[in-house]
Amino acid sequence: MPTDESTPATTSPAQQQEAAPGSGLARLHLTGISKRFGAVRAIRNADLTVRTGQVHALVGENGAGKSTMIKIISGVESADTGQIEFEGAQVAISSTTDAMALGIATVYQEPQLFAELTVSENIFTGREIRKGGRVDWTAQNDRVVELLELLGLPGKYATAAVGTLSIAEQQQVSIAKALAGNAKVLILDEPSAILTDAEIDVLFTVVRRLTASGVSVIYISHRLDELFRIAQQVTVMRDGQTIGTYPIEELSVRQIAELMVGGILSDDRAERVVPEGEPTLVLSGLTRTGKFHDVDVAVKRGEIVGLYGLVGSGVSEIAACIYGMDRATSGQILLNGKPITPHSPQHAQRLGIALLPANRKLEGMFSFQSIAFNISAGHLGLLSKFGIFVDRAREKTVARDLIKRLAVKTPSERQAIGAMSGGNAQKVVLARQLVERPEVLVLAEPTQGVDVGAKEEIHRIITELAESGSAVLVVTSDLAEALRISDRLQVVRGGTTTVEFGPEATQVDVLAAAAGSVDEEGNAA
Amino acid sequence: MSTTLGQRPGAGSPAPEPRKALGQSRIRVLPSAISGQEFVLLGVIAVLWVILAFATPAFFTAGSIQPLLVAMAPIALVGVGMTIIIITGGIDVSVGAAIMVCSVVTAKLLVDQGLVLPLAVLVSVLVGGALGLINGLLIAYGRVHAIIITFGTANIFLFLGLQIFGSSTVNNIPQTFDVFGRGVAGRTFGIPHAFLITVIIAAIAWWYLRHTAGGRHFYAIGGDAHAARLAGVRVQRRILLAYLITGLLVGLASCFVIAQGTSTLDQSVGTGKELAVIAAVVIGGTSIMGGRGSVLGTLLGALLVQTVTSGVTQLGWNSQLSDLFVGIFIIVAVGADLIRERARRAK
Repeated sequence: MPTDESTPATTSPAQQQEAAPGSGLARLHLTGISKRFGAVRAIRNADLTVRTGQVHALVGENGAGKSTMIKIISGVESADTGQIEFEGAQVAISSTTDAMALGIATVYQEPQLFAELTVSENIFTGREIRKGGRVDWTAQNDRVVELLELLGLPGKYATAAVGTLSIAEQQQVSIAKALAGNAKVLILDEPSAILTDAEIDVLFTVVRRLTASGVSVIYISHRLDELFRIAQQVTVMRDGQTIGTYPIEELSVRQIAELMVGGILSDDRAERVVPEGEPTLVLSGLTRTGKFHDVDVAVKRGEIVGLYGLVGSGVSEIAACIYGMDRATSGQILLNGKPITPHSPQHAQRLGIALLPANRKLEGMFSFQSIAFNISAGHLGLLSKFGIFVDRAREKTVARDLIKRLAVKTPSERQAIGAMSGGNAQKVVLARQLVERPEVLVLAEPTQGVDVGAKEEIHRIITELAESGSAVLVVTSDLAEALRISDRLQVVRGGTTTVEFGPEATQVDVLAAAAGSVDEEGNAA
Repeated sequence: MSTTLGQRPGAGSPAPEPRKALGQSRIRVLPSAISGQEFVLLGVIAVLWVILAFATPAFFTAGSIQPLLVAMAPIALVGVGMTIIIITGGIDVSVGAAIMVCSVVTAKLLVDQGLVLPLAVLVSVLVGGALGLINGLLIAYGRVHAIIITFGTANIFLFLGLQIFGSSTVNNIPQTFDVFGRGVAGRTFGIPHAFLITVIIAAIAWWYLRHTAGGRHFYAIGGDAHAARLAGVRVQRRILLAYLITGLLVGLASCFVIAQGTSTLDQSVGTGKELAVIAAVVIGGTSIMGGRGSVLGTLLGALLVQTVTSGVTQLGWNSQLSDLFVGIFIIVAVGADLIRERARRAK
C-alpha cells in the first residue's frame, strides 16, 4: 500500500533560506551537485545550505546519497557538476587538504586513527606544529590537553598511544582531531552509532559549545530521535536527491521517516500461509557483550522472518553470531529445541544452518572459479564418487539445472563468477544452498548491491526455499526488502529486538520504530 | 528514548580511565626512546658476548670486535632505509641485487678511471639512488604491492649487474676504499670508520623519524594509509622517499662492501644481503605490518645477527648454524610482535 505524504509541503531550499530560523548566515552553500560512480547516479542535483553556528542534520535511508554528499564536502570525492560556495565565495574542493584549508573537518564513522601513535600525534598528523625543523611536542601537547578537557577526557591521554584507548574514546579523539584545525564546518558522520548515552550527552554538550562559538555542524545520524535534541535544520535525502530542508521543530520523527521513505513502493507481496508448528530456529536472550543483548527471535518451518535494523543497531553482529564468526557471551541458539554453539561458519553449516554471508566478495564466493565450482563447493560429499573424486559430469548437470531454474544470465556454467554482475553472482551463491534443501537458512543482506530485477528474482528464490520447508531468517538493513519478504519482522534497535511487525506494517511504522520514538504517535506497537 | 548497548567500557563516566593500566612508557611527551624489545635485544647481545668471551678468550679483543663492527656496517646501513620502508608497510627485496649493481659499477670505475675517493662514493650513492627511485616510483604510483615490484626489479638489477661484470670477477681494485675497510687505515682511535658513519647516519635517521613531521608521517602511513591521506599526508611522496633513501644508503653500503673484500670483486657480491637486512630490521622490533619500528632496534638487530655469525665462526662451529640461529631469532621476534598485536586487538 502506498504511503501517503502527510508531511508539511516540501519547501525548496531557496525558500528555506529566507524562512530559516536563527539569523545564521549561509556558511556553506551547495547547489546542483551531481555525482556518478560508473552507471550509478549517487547524487542528482542536490542542494544544501549550512548556516553559521547551526547544527544541520542530514538524513536519509542507506544509499540515499548522504555519504557521497559528505565526501564531496570534505574533498574525498569531487562533484561532477554543481557549485560550492563557502562564506559567500565560490570555491573548488578537490582534495581533503583543500577542505581542511577552508576549515571543513570531518569525523568519520570509523575512527581514522593510527594505533601506534600517541593521541597528540594523531590529532596533529598532517598539520604538525613545527619549531625549526622539528615537531614542537610541547606546544602540541598543551593544545591537545585543552581539547581533551573540552571533550571531557583526561589531559594525560594526550601522550597515550591511541591503540590503548576504547573505541568510544577513539571517537572522541577523532572529534578533537577535527577541532584542532580551527574548524568552521564540522561534519559528524554517525557519531552516535558507537557511543553510549552518557558519551552522547558529552558529545552534545561539546557540539552546543562549538555552535555557540560560531562553528557549523553537519550531523548525520540514523537515530532520528536525537536530532530533536541537537539540530536546528534537517535536510532529507532520498534516491540521491535532496527532498527538502526544514526547521526541526516543524517535523516529528514520523514525518521525517515519511520523507525519507517517500510515497514509493506499492506492496506487492503475495499472501503466504505459514504452517503451524514448533519453531525450528530460536534465539533466546542472545547476548554478545558490547554488541547486542537479549535478542529473541523464533523462526518456524516454512516461515520467513526479517531482522531489520539500521547501521549500528547491532543487526549485522547478530548475524555474525549465528554464523559462528563471533561467540555469544550469554543466551542460546536453539535448533529444533537443542542448544547449539556454532564456533565457525563451517561448524554452523554442519549443524544444519545454511548461510549466505553479507559480504559476498569476501566470504561468499570464489571469484576466479566457475559457476559450477561455486555451486558445488561445500557439497562435494554429495557430488563426489566415493566421497573423494568430484563427479564432474554430475557437477555440470546440477549447475545447468540450477542456472535454468534461477534464470542466471550466463553463457555457460564454466563462466567465472567474478566476471558476473552482482545480482547474477548472488543467485549463484544462493543456488549453492538449493543443492541441499537446508533446514535453516540465514541470509544477511541478500540483495546488497543488486539491481532491481535480480532483487525480485532473489526474493522469489527465498520465498521458494521457505515454501519447500526451510526456516528462513533474513537479516537486512534494507527496509523495503525487510517488509516485502518477511512473514514477520523483528526490529533491532540499540542492540536488542524491540518491536515485531506483521505483514500489514508500513515502511513508516517500521522506520520510526527502528530510528527511535516507538510510541510517539502510538501506532508503531 | 533510544536504548543503548549495555556494558560498554567507560559507560556512564565522562572521564574513563584507560582500559589497561598503562606503563610509564605509554605516558610520555614523545614516543618512548627505547622500546621493550630493544631492551630485550640489548640483554640478548650482552649475554651472547659474555658467553663468547668465556668460550673463546680471543672474542673480547679489538682484533675480533673491530671486524665484527666493520662487517655489520653495510647491513645496518641498508637496514636504516629498510626500517623506514617497513614502517610504511612496504618491503624491498631488491637491495641485495642493488648492492651488486652499485659495487660492480663503482669497482669498474675505480679500476678503469682511477676515481678519487669522494667521486667514487658519489657515483655509488647516485647509482643506488637511481635504483631506489625506480622502486619508489613503481610502488608509490603503480599501486602494486612492494614485494611484487621489488621482486621484479631484483631480477632486473641482477641481470644488469651481471651484464656489467662481463667476466666473472673485477680484479686489481685500487685501495681507494681502505678508509672503510678492516685495516688500520679504516680506523680512528680504534673505531672503524664504516661503523662510525653507520652510527651517525642511523642517529640522524632516528632523530628524523622521531622528531620531524615528515618522519612521523611514515608511521601514520604504515598505521593506516587511507587515514593518513585523509589527514593530508602526501602518502605517495613519502613512500617514494622511503625507497629513495634506501637506494642512497645501498650506494654508500656498497662502498663498505667493496672495502671489505680484497682487491677482487666476484659475482656473488650482494647475494642474500636483502634477507640479512630484513632479518636485522624484524629482529629489531619493527613490525612487518607497518606502523611501528625504530632505527635503534635495527642497529641492535644487525649487531645480534653479526654476533651470531662471528660467534659461530670463532667457536669453530659449522657456519650453517648461524643461519639456524638467525632463523630462530626472526621467528621469535615476529612471534612476539604477533602476540602483542593480538593482545591489543582482543581488548
